[in-house]
Amino acid sequence: MNERNEENLKELFEKFVSSEQAERGAEDIRKGEEILREHPAPEPDGEVIAGIKAQIAMELLGRKRRVSKRVVYKVAAVAAAFIILAVVNVKIFEKGGGPGKVVRASVLPAALWDSEDIAADDVDLAILTAEIKEIEEDVLALELGENGGNGHIDMAELEMELMEINGDFWEG
Amino acid sequence: MAKSDDLAQIINGCKAGEAESFQTLVDMYGRRCYGYFYRLTGNRDISDDLLGELFVKLVAKIGSFKGGSFESWLFKTASNVFYDYLRKKQRQKKLLEGREKQLKSELIEAKKSEREQIDKLQVQLERLNAETRELIMLRFYSQLSFKEIAEMRSEPIGTTLSKMHRGLKKLRELMEQ
Repeated sequence: MNERNEENLKELFEKFVSSEQAERGAEDIRKGEEILREHPAPEPDGEVIAGIKAQIAMELLGRKRRVSKRVVYKVAAVAAAFIILAVVNVKIFEKGGGPGKVVRASVLPAALWDSEDIAADDVDLAILTAEIKEIEEDVLALELGENGGNGHIDMAELEMELMEINGDFWEG
Repeated sequence: MAKSDDLAQIINGCKAGEAESFQTLVDMYGRRCYGYFYRLTGNRDISDDLLGELFVKLVAKIGSFKGGSFESWLFKTASNVFYDYLRKKQRQKKLLEGREKQLKSELIEAKKSEREQIDKLQVQLERLNAETRELIMLRFYSQLSFKEIAEMRSEPIGTTLSKMHRGLKKLRELMEQ
């Protein structure tokens, strides 16, 4: 009963205790295991072993059956799906006389196009609108000479700002 | 090397669901596993049941063996089977607590007749604590090294060595009394 665990017990013990203690420890283990060898446990009856082998065979058979059933169910499910698809296709062709036309629809909800409330629909759009409105007011003020500045330079700056805002908006 | 190749072939056969390969495993390890169960339970009928349970469990679990020491894996499974049995026994004990008095005398009688048939070692083993007894039996019947046992039990090798040393020393003292 002692083939594989023949490691050097003394060496193993020496990792934790002195050489003298290691020697004693290894000896204690050897003697203890000797007692176990001197008192072998009873062996299982031949009938028990035969019974276990039969049990294993039954278990394997049961598992094979379960696997076969699973395969049959899967095949049946796939076949059923094909049949259903085929029936549906036949019905469609029968009704329409051919494949139906492809209908394209906008991904944007219609409510958005119809909506008047820009701020609620799109924040960026709302910001742009507000900025345009501000620029309009600035242009109007320049045209009227209300801010008292250099009209040409201010207009150029305003145009630049407008282009920048426009660029930012389309870049997201 | 040839031996481990043979074992690998048998395990592959088991994984493929071959009854013959499982039967070979039963022939190879049945006695050792039975000894392990018997020394832990001291009862032949229970050991018969646990051995059957172990090998039937192997049929279901063999696919999860991914290599390494088969003995280590097998005895880990055997150990789980034994602890499952202990837990079941504990639950049954709790259920039967109400009928304790009535059953107590029956149990004492049954134990007495059982004890008459078992050897001195079994009697003394029962005086060790359950964990030590399991460790000693695991080492003896699995034939694993201390390193492998320590890994299996997820504890430092020094702890395993020390528990084993104390347990076997105590057992020797008890046997010499």
